[in-house]
Amino acid sequence: MLISFFFRIDYLCHIMPRTKYKFNPDSLSFDRVKLGVRTLFFRFLAYFIGSVIIAIIYWAIFAGFFESPKEKALEREVEQMTIQYNLIHREMADVENVLEDLQKTDDNLYRTIFEAEPIPSTLRDGGSGGINRYNALEGYSNSSLVIETANRLDKIRKRIYVQSKSFDDLIDLAKRKEEMLKCVPAILPISNKDLTRVASGFGLRIHPYYKISKFHSGMDFTAPLGTKVYATGNGVVIGKMSSLRGYGNNIIIDHGFGYVSLYAHLSEFNVRVGQKVQRGDVIGFVGSTGMSVANHLHYEIELNGVKIDPVNYYFENLTSEEYIRMIEVAAKTGQSFD
Amino acid sequence: MFGSPKEKMLTQQIENLKLQYSLIGRQLDHSVESLGSLKLSDEIRYRTILDMDSVPESYRRGGYGGIDRFKDLTGYTNSGLIISYRSKIEEIKTRSTVQKESFKSIAERSADWKRDKDHSPAISPVNVKYRLGDPFKFREVHPVYGTPRMHFGQDIEVPYGTEVYATGDGIIIESGYNSGGFGNYIKIDHGNGLQSLYGHLSSIKVVKGLNVKRCDLIGLSGNTGTSTGAHLHYQIEQFGKPTNPINFFNNDMTQEEFSEMIQAFGSKSKFR
Repeated sequence: MLISFFFRIDYLCHIMPRTKYKFNPDSLSFDRVKLGVRTLFFRFLAYFIGSVIIAIIYWAIFAGFFESPKEKALEREVEQMTIQYNLIHREMADVENVLEDLQKTDDNLYRTIFEAEPIPSTLRDGGSGGINRYNALEGYSNSSLVIETANRLDKIRKRIYVQSKSFDDLIDLAKRKEEMLKCVPAILPISNKDLTRVASGFGLRIHPYYKISKFHSGMDFTAPLGTKVYATGNGVVIGKMSSLRGYGNNIIIDHGFGYVSLYAHLSEFNVRVGQKVQRGDVIGFVGSTGMSVANHLHYEIELNGVKIDPVNYYFENLTSEEYIRMIEVAAKTGQSFD
Repeated sequence: MFGSPKEKMLTQQIENLKLQYSLIGRQLDHSVESLGSLKLSDEIRYRTILDMDSVPESYRRGGYGGIDRFKDLTGYTNSGLIISYRSKIEEIKTRSTVQKESFKSIAERSADWKRDKDHSPAISPVNVKYRLGDPFKFREVHPVYGTPRMHFGQDIEVPYGTEVYATGDGIIIESGYNSGGFGNYIKIDHGNGLQSLYGHLSSIKVVKGLNVKRCDLIGLSGNTGTSTGAHLHYQIEQFGKPTNPINFFNNDMTQEEFSEMIQAFGSKSKFR
């Protein structure tokens, strides 16, 4: 473009004389015409613009017929990306079908093994993520505001739920001494980071052998053979029994303050009767002794001789969200394991 | 320096494609997440309960391939992007295939587990209103022979004509009169080397070769054979060797619960 422009200037210089004369009929002589700066400038501008336009036309024609290397590269890129996109899209559809099948299989397995309706995937994935719970609110103006508010309300509701559940216990606890806090069962008896090990909660559950609802006086945690079982509070081992039926190998710990905890179906013991234990001490290992259908730990808490729901005694190592999930999961289970 | 209209158009197209890719990327992430939760329930729920080994992560990821598989995709500005999506999809595919296989084996194993559970002689053969008689022990004096003798079962003192139920699923392998002392007796094979025997019956309701389910009525108690009073002799043999039957059932039910259980099973049973 620039080249053609300079060429034009050069050409103009050749064909145009350097000085101009004009015939004056009065004096019958040729007067030298003096061009003003303005005129010169406008003339130059006109030529400049004209040449630019011509350059653009040339360039457009050139670009229309020939592709620049960059264009070629871009085109190749677009083509490849489109091909790959279609491929990925197709495969994605396949993958989603497969995943759906897997999900169904999982649900069926859950049904056969736990004899209960599967836990909804939102629960399984953890938290309140995953499925958009506020679908109904979308599509209105201000909907984002509404959703946010609903979201917040939801969170608040959850918090209240936790609060009301554990408030009574907390008030009670706050009044008592530090010593008691160390003794009361307060942690999960096995390490259970993602809470997936809860197999059965406290209350009426289907008995695996009898197939009728029977009162299940503790919580079941599934864990592989030999998983460590922890003492949930400071106390003294007051009972250790090996039996082929009932609780199988079990340990009873007296925590004082009316609390007694029981750990059943163990494969091995790690304590003696009369031994003092601290919270978190390994007291035994998970097994399937006694009346049990799978390797699991049966955990019971007794307060003043009454068996109580252990789910209310995990305040030490669970966040409130985890706690809620724990409650929901424990409430959903259908079959006990002993 | 300046892009031609075509170049601009192409660049725009690429941008659009990138957007579409990122949309698919979200789907991909979601798939990875749900595969993760499936893996969790696979490993922690099912494999733990069914006492199976876990599938190693290296196997789940799939050992073959790598970046070399997408050699033809290199050399583009967005090669990295495309390859990352392709390999992610490949990974998801391998993982889901492994997951499928894993679930298949779990389903098989869980069927076995359920069968074992149903076949185990895990309940009391009669309703719980009873007094336990002579246990599995060495008797100094046999009540009839008057000589020292091993007692290979558990005596349950129940009135004449009490209903006796099969304690687990199984097949009747012996039924009839035993002159050796059991009188009218039934023997059920529960599989896994376990057999249960019910002696001194007054009436037998089953025949040899019949498949029975837990809680099926198989006979009425009585006083036949070497017996000094109406009672049920309940014996369990493990691989042919008598073991103490008291270890096979829990004494944790009320009479009502037992009747409820009998009814619950009865409604499901094809027999009776």
